Amino acid sequence: MTAPTAARSFPVVETAVLRVAVAGNPNSGKSTLINSLAGTRLHVGNWPGVTVEKKEAALEHRGQRIALIDLPGTYSLSPYTEEEIIARDFLVHDRPDIIVDVVDATNLERNLYLTLQLLELGIPVIVALNIYDEAEKKGYKIDVKAMEAALGVTVVPTVATRKTGMNDLLEAVTGAIAKGSRSLPRSQSYGEDIEAAVKMLTAGIVDRHPALVERYPRRWLALKLMEGDRRVLAEANISGVDSLMKDAVGHLREAHGEDLESLMADARYSLAAGLTREVLQRPSVRKTEMTEKIDRVVLNRFLGIPIFFAAMWFVFKMTFDLSAPFADWLDGAINGPLTRWIEASTNLLHGPDWLVSLMTKGVIAGVGSVLVFVPVIFAMMFFITFLEGSGYMARAAFVMDRAMHSMGLHGKSFIPMILGFGCNVPAQSGTVLWSLYVMGIVLAVLMGILFKRTLFRGESPMFIMELPPYRMPSGRSLAIHTWEKGKHFLIKAGTYILAVSVLVWFLLNLPWGVENKKDSYLGKVGSAIAPVFAPLGFGNWEASSSLIAGVIAKEIVVGTMGEIYVRETEKKPEGPAPTFFEDLREIGTSFASAGREAFTNVISTVGITSLKAEEKEEEATLRSVVAKSFTPLSAYAFMAFVLLYMPCVVAAAAFKHEFGTWKWFGVAFVYQTILAWSVAFIVYQGGKLFGIGG
Amino acid sequence: MGIVDFVLIGLIVGGAFYLLYRSLWKKKGYCHGCDSAGKCK
Ligand SMILES: Nc1nc2c(ncn2[C@@H]2O[C@H](COP(=O)(O)OP(=O)(O)O)[C@@H](O)[C@H]2O)c(=O)[nH]1
Repeated sequence: MTAPTAARSFPVVETAVLRVAVAGNPNSGKSTLINSLAGTRLHVGNWPGVTVEKKEAALEHRGQRIALIDLPGTYSLSPYTEEEIIARDFLVHDRPDIIVDVVDATNLERNLYLTLQLLELGIPVIVALNIYDEAEKKGYKIDVKAMEAALGVTVVPTVATRKTGMNDLLEAVTGAIAKGSRSLPRSQSYGEDIEAAVKMLTAGIVDRHPALVERYPRRWLALKLMEGDRRVLAEANISGVDSLMKDAVGHLREAHGEDLESLMADARYSLAAGLTREVLQRPSVRKTEMTEKIDRVVLNRFLGIPIFFAAMWFVFKMTFDLSAPFADWLDGAINGPLTRWIEASTNLLHGPDWLVSLMTKGVIAGVGSVLVFVPVIFAMMFFITFLEGSGYMARAAFVMDRAMHSMGLHGKSFIPMILGFGCNVPAQSGTVLWSLYVMGIVLAVLMGILFKRTLFRGESPMFIMELPPYRMPSGRSLAIHTWEKGKHFLIKAGTYILAVSVLVWFLLNLPWGVENKKDSYLGKVGSAIAPVFAPLGFGNWEASSSLIAGVIAKEIVVGTMGEIYVRETEKKPEGPAPTFFEDLREIGTSFASAGREAFTNVISTVGITSLKAEEKEEEATLRSVVAKSFTPLSAYAFMAFVLLYMPCVVAAAAFKHEFGTWKWFGVAFVYQTILAWSVAFIVYQGGKLFGIGG
Repeated sequence: MGIVDFVLIGLIVGGAFYLLYRSLWKKKGYCHGCDSAGKCK
């Protein structure tokens, strides 16, 4: 990571580590390519202070040590999404020695839009022309030589899924270093007007702000200034630049209005289109007929958004239908056999009584009630991954972006939030979760409009892109991405949810030997603040205590409820307790019947028949116990509150690292809490007014 | 409640706090669930 960057100006320096950044569009096969290159040597961390994963790997090729750094997948290097900001900050400030740009050969035009921006950076670029097999299958003829000539970079056809071209790619990487500065890409021309302005700006900057030239690639800086890039303007902190800008781009502004950013986007876009025309020969049109037909409906100005919400409803519904039987099965296995085994083995080791209680009523009740959601999370991640891989999510992003734009907001920045939300609120039915999800989006839009005039000024250019063709995601990639997304939930369960479960158990049992949980420390604090929540319908101490514990992280609300409402040791079954093997067999058979039930559920969702059995008699699950202190309406208000209020430890840590002070955290905390309270209030009181579930 | 219990409780509570610190604070607020670019290992 910290290797000297000097290698760029000298031919191979044996000992220096070559820093290679891997960039590319989402879905270009970047993950697959990196996996093929690095195999098990991949090391996963995260970018400082943010929620995006950072993957690195150390390789060696012909004695040259190479550090691969995976940049987040982006369509552009504009400063609007977290991914874009991370990618460009790394490229601009950490200056890797080489960029490997993973380009989807079946989608050249859209991918070249990013490539062009990478070429602006003055760093050697190597293009991995990936998914080459599919392009060939479609009858695309890509003139690799012409592409190399036009871009002035090495282009290597690759098929990441079959590890084809990996060696050539590494050869090109080490070769580029040997070539030194001759491996720098050709500077692309964005048309006379723009180039003249760039020239003037560059000269002016070199002249008047030499310090900036040290910090940024010149051409890139000039282009960004023209675009009015807020992040660069803020970072560079240049006052005198105004007059310079007036000279350089005054006439452009006159001709095109203030919006030079759109002008630049257009210039890159048409260059990408032109390049594509030059190097790519497509067979006659038939290829996208299907895609176009679907898109005519899915992207329809009026149908687009309803279809998006319907698709999400389907995802949530399928998720729950598929996973609910398994969740019940897991619940049964954890609370029955697993609890008995742990109890028995703790007794066998002569552990004290309190330890047995800590294990069963603390750890198992707490972590267990969160683990019950594992099937839900994985099913949901599976369907989301499927939508991403199939190409639909790109359309959803486009549709949302278009809608936001008509309200003057940045659509793209909403998408990650929208998707990331799923794992935070374990709810009890697909439709409930879906409605919370829709509420989250609507609120985000409302807040966006509200703050538009104060906090987030300015507009982003519209996201005009060729959309990827629909394709069936491969099983392997589905498995990889589902696991990647789902595993975080398991990590959480094994780390802080476990830790908090233990601490909550103590708080529920202190002062030592307290009879009634309500008189424990946690119970007392919960009772004290409960009145605050009374107008929201959940002014009981149990809910308040869970919310207090939940300030550490949202899943903990569920875990804490599990501990508070823990069933008193299940009534001993008559006769001898089942043996270990009987337990195992029982777990096996109930798993099989859960599988059957899930299958029937899914079939009935798809609408073939309505085989679905009536809600079976509730067992003593956590849900049914909780149902005693909540009405459906207050439970809904509670979930809305949980969704919106801030898990402060996680957020506080993030804020502290981001801004270095507590002030913003305080502001955000107060704001979020008030928002959550108000929404839950409206939900509950409004619901009562209309006589729903009162 | 003997001395052994107290030692055990101390260890458990200490361990829990350490786990909490390590998984939440030291990770700089990295929220495992909400990454929007969760990709391959
Ligand atoms: N046919 C073909 N498919 C590929 C190739 N590389 C990746 N894929 C598939 O393209 C999809 C997206 O790949 P992934 O690595 O998840 O993309 P990422 O979003 O850029 O990380 C997956 O279904 C992969 O299996 C390739 O070279 N050829």
